[in-house]
Amino acid sequence: MARTENDIAIVGFAQGDMVRRSQKTETEMMLPVVAEAIASVGLTKNDIGFTVSGSCDYLSGQAFSFVSNVDAYGAWPPINESHVEMDGAWALYEAFVRLMQGDIDTALAAGVGKNSNSDASTLYTIEMDPYYLTPLGADPWSLAALQARALLDSGKATERDFAEVVSRNRANAKSNPKAQLSGDFDIDELLAADYVRNPLRRHDLPPTTDGCAAIILARGKKAYDLCERPAWITGIDHRIEAHLPTMRADITRSVSTALAAAGAGVKNGPIDVAEIYAPFSFQELIIREALDLDASTEINPSGGALATNPVMVSGLIRMGEAANQIIKNGKRRTLAHATSGPCLQQNLVAVLEGDE
Amino acid sequence: MPDVVRESVFNLQFPFTRSLGSTLSTFFSALAQGQIIGVRTAGRVIAPPLEYDPDTAADSGTDYVKVGPKGTVSTWTWVPEPTHLHTVKHPFAFAFITLDGADTPMIHVVDAGSESAMKPGMRVEATFKPVDERVGRIDDIVAFVPAADPSPSAGAGDSYVAPAENDITMLDSFCDLTYVDNTSASTLLWMESLLKGQIIGQVCPMCSRTYVGPRNMCCVDAIELDESMIVSVPDRGVVTNFTIITPVQYPGQTETEPFVRVSILLEGTDAVMAQQGVLEIPASEVRVGMHVEAVWAPESERDVSDIGNRGWGSGGDCIRGWRPTGQPDEPAENYVERMM
Repeated sequence: MARTENDIAIVGFAQGDMVRRSQKTETEMMLPVVAEAIASVGLTKNDIGFTVSGSCDYLSGQAFSFVSNVDAYGAWPPINESHVEMDGAWALYEAFVRLMQGDIDTALAAGVGKNSNSDASTLYTIEMDPYYLTPLGADPWSLAALQARALLDSGKATERDFAEVVSRNRANAKSNPKAQLSGDFDIDELLAADYVRNPLRRHDLPPTTDGCAAIILARGKKAYDLCERPAWITGIDHRIEAHLPTMRADITRSVSTALAAAGAGVKNGPIDVAEIYAPFSFQELIIREALDLDASTEINPSGGALATNPVMVSGLIRMGEAANQIIKNGKRRTLAHATSGPCLQQNLVAVLEGDE
Repeated sequence: MPDVVRESVFNLQFPFTRSLGSTLSTFFSALAQGQIIGVRTAGRVIAPPLEYDPDTAADSGTDYVKVGPKGTVSTWTWVPEPTHLHTVKHPFAFAFITLDGADTPMIHVVDAGSESAMKPGMRVEATFKPVDERVGRIDDIVAFVPAADPSPSAGAGDSYVAPAENDITMLDSFCDLTYVDNTSASTLLWMESLLKGQIIGQVCPMCSRTYVGPRNMCCVDAIELDESMIVSVPDRGVVTNFTIITPVQYPGQTETEPFVRVSILLEGTDAVMAQQGVLEIPASEVRVGMHVEAVWAPESERDVSDIGNRGWGSGGDCIRGWRPTGQPDEPAENYVERMM
């Protein structure tokens, strides 16, 4: 299909080091990654029409950290900039919508997370419902485990299936130079480990990662100027469910993912590669069911979030990895998924296509 | 000899008091009396109640219903090592519990003794704190325990008539977060220089701006800077801006009288040192254009523990403040735009 000036593509992607504990500030983590993404498409900072990032003050523990982070863009003369207190995948969504206005033809979306400054089990517990959950110390691992147990009891998956997800993702991560955790893991040995939260074991949980990623978007003909084979975003949608996990009719299903997938047009053709942001192993199974992918779809060749999980960046990395499958590997049609909130509360699905 | 600080611990505390609104006030007031309630809306009972039906966004109304104290576990997990945030200090379960009379589950603690006692479909019963220890919070229910008698709860599903005024209308929620920030390489250089009684800057090779202190980046050109671009800068400069602060006695405030904070552009640099103190003259005599120089603490008293990655140019407890040099003032109009 011929592309028009209304079509928007991912044309460049960069990600920084993904490590357990960065010695840099968020701003210092961002600057070289943003610069690399811009340089990768032959532009300079002054060529970018709109810049938006996703990050969270609560992770680094610094008020208005996103304002300091503007220094990473070289925002002089002043730039057109925005920020979401969400994963960078939602920053990309804002950039996509901004480009649709038609007056600019390039945008930068970034995500950054200095996750090692804080204790996830405390931080995310305090983010929960302040009336019914936080006073009980309903921590993110427990909430995920409640969902995992429900999935087991539904008969749709086994603990061995969970371990298989871990083993496959970490094996895939061996070919990802940015991966924090990778290697060959025997499923029986994984299953011999103790539970952290029954039925979840340590390996079912994501690692803590500091990291940053950035993506360049371009509209219409500009995309071809910057990239030989742009990854056109032919559909992108995100949906959210009620904030209390107990208010979902069936916690083993991701209705929001299914709706976002329909909105993004996943079923309009086969998906060659899907990059799924499943922070907990079993959640990949729930997302795959909701996406209703063919058996031929390759899942998470990057290793996914079980290998590398910089919160506020992981979803954007899925976008970049799915785009690179088209830009660099010649794939025809790929999918990127991002999630946010307890028990997969909010989900974003994007379909990317290369030209025939 | 004081040393650099490689990690800084920040403790953030937010003593929030939340207003509950009518629905949650009704719930928590009843809970403090030992009664769990839900709300009937669109043909189902949501318990604990919500102000709005999340499926339709319709007002849930005030058709309150007694639920529990017994219920049925659907899904559960086991917490083998409780943390300081958990209300039970020995191993316990979290579970989805659908209370008798309710159509939606609640999440709460199940104190079942051992993991092997947990199974879907098990009947559990709420245990409450003693009346005088209840505060109208969800953990007024200490835990659910296996029900001695699995038969249905008496009275579950009956209407609950809320009092005209609720006892509980507010919820104290104390938020306590601890962060451990590691000092970045550029901030470590800054700490080292201050301990030696020197001020350093970093020069961008592209725009030639000199930043005080080092940032390992040029925020105009968006390029990384490195140690080869570090320069020593004079500890003398000109006041570009000031404010006189009348102190409010918040916790941690040590000032009692009005004091001045100034921005100083050091000689040969392009980024001001902000929020610096002035010594030896009254606040009222501070002027834009005034020449000042640093007054250093004795070497043995220098301390950089207050310096972190957040905010450049802090002198920590190494520079006591700045005093006038007595040179004639510079024209103020040459400096007034150098706020930052």
